[in-house]
Amino acid sequence: MNLEDELRSALRRENPSPGFAERVVARAHSSAKPTRAIPRMIWAMAVAAMLAIGFTSTYEYRQMKAERASHDAVIALRIASEKLNLARERIVRREN
Amino acid sequence: MRRILLTTLISACAAAQLPAQLLQLRITGLDGLALKAEKSVNITLDSSLLQMAGGFLAGAGKDGKDGNDVKGLLAGLKAITVRSYQFKETGQYRMEDLEPIRAQLRTPGWNRIISSQSKDESSEIYTRTEQGKVVGFAIIAAEPKELTVVAIEGTIDLNDLSKLKALGVPSIPVPDKKGKQQ
Repeated sequence: MNLEDELRSALRRENPSPGFAERVVARAHSSAKPTRAIPRMIWAMAVAAMLAIGFTSTYEYRQMKAERASHDAVIALRIASEKLNLARERIVRREN
Repeated sequence: MRRILLTTLISACAAAQLPAQLLQLRITGLDGLALKAEKSVNITLDSSLLQMAGGFLAGAGKDGKDGNDVKGLLAGLKAITVRSYQFKETGQYRMEDLEPIRAQLRTPGWNRIISSQSKDESSEIYTRTEQGKVVGFAIIAAEPKELTVVAIEGTIDLNDLSKLKALGVPSIPVPDKKGKQQ
């Protein structure tokens, strides 16, 4: 048997066995629900991690802002104090 | 009828806003000086930032008391604005530059409590009082090579402010324009 005959034999049309269509439909109906690609646990962990990152970032940002504000406030009060005392000194100097 | 009601409502809202607007001293007309200045300080803190700053200072106070004292000083404040410019040479600003600020300080409610004028420098301190309490405070300090304007809104004891160094407020290096600490 040459190659051409082998191929013809292998690829010859064959009718399905009786009840094939019914079996396919039955299998399709009875098969379990498709499994989720990512389990719920991983989703929960991802959400928790995102929340943790979000809260940490917000806290860090607020801390940075507060630190910057306190730095500015101290500088501002220091300048105000210096200029207040300078004005008082000038008045005292002038009176003396 | 609706128009009259609306007009009345708008007028009432505007009238309610007026005292707050008068109290808020706007430091205007000095922004161009930052370009000429060798060093400049531009600080604007509103009440929420001051609250955060007070909390931070109290929490970060090394010995507790100092942090609380500064926090106490900040607690009564609603806003702080500071513009300070140091120049290499004299004549970098004109007294007229201060006129928009002085004009606001001439409005009713503000009182000049200290004024020291000499040939080339002047110091003026203004307060705004309500029911015997200082609720606003402004300083204009003009020197040949330095100009500083401070506006503080809120209740503040000037004696406490003048004692600030004694309270242990650390001498924080002031960054210059290039961000270098001085």
